[in-house]
Amino acid sequence: MTLFFQQWYGELLKLFSRRRTYIGFGAFVALELIILLLIKKFGMGPIQKAIVGSGQSFEYYFSALTVASTIMGFAIFLLGALFLSLVAGDIVAKEGEDGHMRLLLARPVSRFRLLLLKYLTCSGYAFLLVQFFAWTSFLLGLTLRGWGGGFFAIVPEISVVAFYDWGPGLQRYALSSLYLGLSMTLISSIAFFLSCFRIKPATATIGALTYILVDFIMRTSGFMENYQFLLLTKYMACWGRILAENIDWPLIWRGYAVIFAVNITLFTLGYAVFESRDLKS
Amino acid sequence: MALLEVRHLTKRWPTGRLALDDVGFEVREGEILGLLGHNGAGKSTIMGITLGMVRPDVGEVRIGGRSVQNNRGAALQQIGAIYEAAVFYDYLSGWQNLRVLCSLSGWWDETEVKRVVQMVNLNRAIRQKTATYSHGMRQRLALAQALLPQPKILLLDEPTDGLDPEGIREFRELILHLRKHHGMTIMLNSHLLGEVEQMCDRCVILKDGKKVFEGQVPSQEKSRRIFQLGTNDIGLAREVLDRCGATMDKFGIVEVPLQMEPHELVTALVNGRVQVSAWQPHRRTLEELYMGLSSRS
Repeated sequence: MTLFFQQWYGELLKLFSRRRTYIGFGAFVALELIILLLIKKFGMGPIQKAIVGSGQSFEYYFSALTVASTIMGFAIFLLGALFLSLVAGDIVAKEGEDGHMRLLLARPVSRFRLLLLKYLTCSGYAFLLVQFFAWTSFLLGLTLRGWGGGFFAIVPEISVVAFYDWGPGLQRYALSSLYLGLSMTLISSIAFFLSCFRIKPATATIGALTYILVDFIMRTSGFMENYQFLLLTKYMACWGRILAENIDWPLIWRGYAVIFAVNITLFTLGYAVFESRDLKS
Repeated sequence: MALLEVRHLTKRWPTGRLALDDVGFEVREGEILGLLGHNGAGKSTIMGITLGMVRPDVGEVRIGGRSVQNNRGAALQQIGAIYEAAVFYDYLSGWQNLRVLCSLSGWWDETEVKRVVQMVNLNRAIRQKTATYSHGMRQRLALAQALLPQPKILLLDEPTDGLDPEGIREFRELILHLRKHHGMTIMLNSHLLGEVEQMCDRCVILKDGKKVFEGQVPSQEKSRRIFQLGTNDIGLAREVLDRCGATMDKFGIVEVPLQMEPHELVTALVNGRVQVSAWQPHRRTLEELYMGLSSRS
């Protein structure tokens, strides 16, 4: 086990020594600041309407948590998918293209182990990036509204609307960010799977982004109403159910069971593809 | 004793091109074996199969008695390799690169790593990012990683490619030092005849995926029975030599058959009315051997 962690440390060292890894973090902070400035300048029109329309006090529920979840809702799908695909799409394909893979596999390490290390690295990155994003959004929310108040949670795509006081709201926010992190590993898995083919890293990234985008469009368009169970973004959206007043745990667990199964399937298929490849320039 | 055995390797690429056609040879303990051939002859494919990165259609490679194809992990424990161009992580230092690579062998010993880094003369630059390294420094780092952790066999795939003359000489001395002082067994893949001639004990020559020669490197041959004949009567000389069971190539290089002494052959030539103007021992070069094999096929 110690050996496994030593090897994983090597993968993490490579990931976090690259500038590109931090572009995701930097881009998120930049986008968060832009959204915060827009909120400061133009207020929270639709959110305000929804709060007041529900008969609640806007002053109370316009809190750091509400601001943070709004920022997160805007930015995670804008940038999250892009950066996760970028990192996971690179992780095998780029090393194969650059010739690093030949150096690594001249060692007595199996391809399975090497891919597992890489998969865990990009999944860990997905989780970490979401946590970073959730808590920097929260910090920015605090600078705008300070500590305390309520939490107005809204996830329109799964019709979740809920009001919380500060303590329970903070708990729900923290829990939902953990589940959102798990959901986003699915994007990493798709990019990772494509990365195992003999293709350009950019092709793996674009392929993963395209898949998620098409999946999302099909879910939101009416004609796929009866086939939603086939669409991955339906399961990815399960994190939002954590914010509902009555958490539907069976539905959430079912969603994450599907995500888990798809992740394992994509890893296994990626491994099978990679295992069958001859590594020679 | 054979430390590395290549057995009946055949490999056809998906494009249909036959990369290797029933190639077999062995590398004995303590020797330096050169793998020679033109570009695309199959040298790197053999290296790839030896490292388990390319799958053969038929055949196998055994290292220390363990099959790479059936038990890759155990077989590769004994090998250090530079396979094709060694590409390091430019954003990591030389030291970090070594650490990442050694972790995959499940090994890290700082004292030993420092010793090897010093041996390849990289101790000053080892903490710098490899992006700042020259080609020669990268090759030395590649050798350092291949030497960690203490392999029995070293596989070197065109290790001096792109090096300047000083770099080539330095690298060659390092390899010879490894064999002399550490008893390292080495398989060297190269298309540089001079390099193989200076470093190797034996060589295998490949042509279009087939083995066309396996034996001692000519310049290393101890007791040769080869002479340079000088005469104007080439046709007549050939007739006499044929009768005696000797062979002569187009450059007048004569190989004396085992049942005759060289002076008896000269007597036979003179008796056969061949005007012999010169008869001197000849040391065949690898280039002659290689070109001879190329032109023959």
